Amino acid sequence: MSTDAPAYKDVDGARDGQPDEHFEDETIMHLERDQFVAETSRPVARAPLNPRSTAALWALRLFAVVVSLMVVYTFIRQLH
Amino acid sequence: MALSGVSRSTAGALPPLTEEDSARSLDRARVHDARQRGGRWPLMWLLVGPGILAMLGENDGPSMIAYASDGAQYGLGFFVPFIPVLFAMAYVCQEMCMRIGAVTHRGYGELVLQRFGPVWGWFAAADLTLTNLITLVAEFVSIRVGLAYFHLGSGVAVALGLVLVVFTFSGGRYWRWERIVLGLALFNGLFLLAAVLAKPHVGAIVGALDFSPFPGGSFNTLLLLLASTIGATVTPWMIFFQQGASADKGMTPRDITHGRYDTAVGAVLAAIFGIGALVAGAALLTHNGAGIQGFAGAGFPNALRHVAGSAAGTVFALGLIEAGAVAILTISASTAYAAAECVGAAHSFNTFPREAALFYAANFGIALVAAVVILIPGAPLLSIALNANVLATVLLPVSLVFMVMLANDKGLMGRWANRRSTNAIGIAVIAFVGLCGAAYGIDSFLQTTHLIG
Repeated sequence: MSTDAPAYKDVDGARDGQPDEHFEDETIMHLERDQFVAETSRPVARAPLNPRSTAALWALRLFAVVVSLMVVYTFIRQLH
Repeated sequence: MALSGVSRSTAGALPPLTEEDSARSLDRARVHDARQRGGRWPLMWLLVGPGILAMLGENDGPSMIAYASDGAQYGLGFFVPFIPVLFAMAYVCQEMCMRIGAVTHRGYGELVLQRFGPVWGWFAAADLTLTNLITLVAEFVSIRVGLAYFHLGSGVAVALGLVLVVFTFSGGRYWRWERIVLGLALFNGLFLLAAVLAKPHVGAIVGALDFSPFPGGSFNTLLLLLASTIGATVTPWMIFFQQGASADKGMTPRDITHGRYDTAVGAVLAAIFGIGALVAGAALLTHNGAGIQGFAGAGFPNALRHVAGSAAGTVFALGLIEAGAVAILTISASTAYAAAECVGAAHSFNTFPREAALFYAANFGIALVAAVVILIPGAPLLSIALNANVLATVLLPVSLVFMVMLANDKGLMGRWANRRSTNAIGIAVIAFVGLCGAAYGIDSFLQTTHLIG
């Protein structure tokens, strides 16, 4: 998913993209596996949304857009 | 994530290590050490940050001017208890964001985009960018108002805001960014000092706790008051910011209790400082609110100086500069998290600009655009500032609905998903915010178009 190539750690002993194992051991022991950039760069699966939920979300979205336009219109009219 | 989280001992081949991983793991090592030693306060010190920053960041320039204007026009009644109620609502929302960030290690923008599809993700990012841009203009105006008290102009306000944004970038560490902004945010307490210097009547503050007297005026004025005060307390950027910052900080489910403390402390401080601005503003009540046109020159601090002395005016002006500056940093950061998350680019302060160009460009870029707006001669800054909170209130329910959906998503959250009681409170907050925002928007529109009197 990530469009930016991750910058791999440049430490002594790292060769050909292989990180220093000693450094890695010390460093990663306090990170959960799913905290790694390589893991969080993977997208999560789509949630199944039933048609009623989808319709309700669209209704809420339309309502927010309409009310926002009303606020913007009022704002512009108040300028004159 | 709850379902994919694997301890090191059970993990297979380890993923490649990045600079960002290294920086984050150093912070996590300190948390681990503090936890091993059993010290409650060192652990608290390491884990506070996103919650306090979200809450104090929302005590921004327009919000503090709004509270002070409420005090100057309506007195203490109703608002003294109403502000804590609003921050209690903000706590409910922000606790969910923190929890989602700690469990999934992902920001709000990317989760909405990936879980519900790109259409919803981009809508969320567009809402955020629009409201953030308007709010950032108001933040620069706030700094300008504060600086005008010291006879300094718009150019200084722009330079100060942009230099601060760039300064906090240096170091390539989330921890450093967070601590600098946290240090600045504590100066939000200047509003409490301004209140003390205004020598309020303590009995009047205590007496106002019964929500009376209810503010007078027209129905539309009351709706504006509610919508802008809500917009001064709960906003879309806070959701993006706290979830993104909690993930960036490296919080895990084990840190959720401390994340709740962090959020609660932020809410309490923000409510106290907000009431401070209200009380300072109330000093102008007996003067019919004269001179409180806060965005025209140094209106509010100057008016306060005439009524409560030069110390109160000076402290209030400094408070406005601080409130604007901190909000510029946090709101720009929320924009950066959203922009980079939505295109799948690197999005962490644990990177350097060369590794996360879009993240840093969005962070600086939106602040720059807002800064340019306040330099435009004749720009309607007062109207922009006053409408920023209202627009945020109108768009907030959509963000809150997705947040509650994410917090209920057992596939993501596992046993940290919302309980029924949290859902009930969350839905009540969404309904209240939605009703107030919509009622104001519709009523104002109908009045403007003369469809009602």
